[in-house]
Amino acid sequence: MLADAPAATHHAAAMQRRVDPYADNGGTAVAIAGEDYAIIAADTRQSEGYNINSRNAPKAFQLNESTVVSCCGFYADATALTTYLKQRIVQYEFDHDKPMSTPALAQLLSITLYGKRFFPYYVHNILAGLDEEGRGCIFNYDPVGSFEKYRWQAAGSGVSLIQPFLDNQVGFKNMPLEKNPPFLPLAKALQLVKDAFTSATERDIYTGDCVEIFIITKDGVRKESYDLKKD
Amino acid sequence: MSIMAYNGASVVAMKGKNCVAIASDRRFGVQALTVSCDFQKIFKVNDRLFYGLAGLGTDVQTLSERFRFKSNMYKLREERDLEPKTFAHMVSSTLYEKRFGPYFVEPVVAGLDKKGEPFVCSTDLIGCINFAKDFVVAGTASQNLYGMCETVWREDLEPEELFEAVSQALLNAVDRDCLSGWGAVVHIITPEKIITRTLKGRMD
Repeated sequence: MLADAPAATHHAAAMQRRVDPYADNGGTAVAIAGEDYAIIAADTRQSEGYNINSRNAPKAFQLNESTVVSCCGFYADATALTTYLKQRIVQYEFDHDKPMSTPALAQLLSITLYGKRFFPYYVHNILAGLDEEGRGCIFNYDPVGSFEKYRWQAAGSGVSLIQPFLDNQVGFKNMPLEKNPPFLPLAKALQLVKDAFTSATERDIYTGDCVEIFIITKDGVRKESYDLKKD
Repeated sequence: MSIMAYNGASVVAMKGKNCVAIASDRRFGVQALTVSCDFQKIFKVNDRLFYGLAGLGTDVQTLSERFRFKSNMYKLREERDLEPKTFAHMVSSTLYEKRFGPYFVEPVVAGLDKKGEPFVCSTDLIGCINFAKDFVVAGTASQNLYGMCETVWREDLEPEELFEAVSQALLNAVDRDCLSGWGAVVHIITPEKIITRTLKGRMD
């Protein structure tokens, strides 16, 4: 703005001081849906520019017994959004006298995000859980609520590093195969998620420290933590 | 839009066991419009040295002609073939000459030195060399390529294994980039021969 002001004249262009309401706190999330499980993982590093604010700021949040959501982007909006969703889940359970299913939560998250269409939550969400038939399902969102069901998805600062790897290893793209790619066994999917994070940690400065992996099955939600490189 | 993303391109090179691989996509576009599907981005210096140029198409072509001239003159004067490291420095100085009005390219060099030792490196648009011990990437799908290479590359891959690794890395990376793709070219350089294959991936 100041560079555009003409040097010859002396009046400054009318300026209005603005504070940028958003920040990018970095971080990466990965989710894979299987035949009877869903895995969702997110690293725990929170950064701002070249600084690390925290090595233990989880980005994946368990909402209820069957659903986990990861929110990458602006951490303040991520916590505000998940707090709001947890409140709405409690309300739903009072109103409907049953736990909130993953597809129902998926729709709720979408309309919540669109509710702030003109001052968005600056987060890229992935919701993971089991559908009504017990099959793993993950939903990927843009910041204003557009969502779609996927079988594999990455989000956050490492998305461009990890997404092609998932296409290749989970979707078997560019590999000679029959029409429908088979579902992966849980152990294989877990190994892929760990490899995805170790690779992203190498090349992306915003990813690292620790990864929390949530495994959702009909028996509930299990959490595992693995250390990542801290540089 | 960034000038480096105007035409779209992706190049990758990897080290293997006594061999190197260099691969690129084939698309030439003008922003969203695809104009050609057989645009050459990898050029041969000699039987053991190749280089690729990602970035603005006109600079890719101009520089390939300048490097052809410089390497021919080197061969005439020195009466010997260019070594990869020497060529890398030649690329670096050619680019730095234009420090305040650069060529908009990201070069990738891959070859075997006179002892048969594999060599890969890349530079930025003003000639800073990155000597890598594993792989180098360049172009609009560079982030995608970093992720793919980091997972598929292992030390001491044999030529056929290296071919699979570099092909999968490139094909899956460009499939997530609108500006790269429309086929791929892969060269594997071994002490005995050069294996060149053209791949058909997603043509979109």
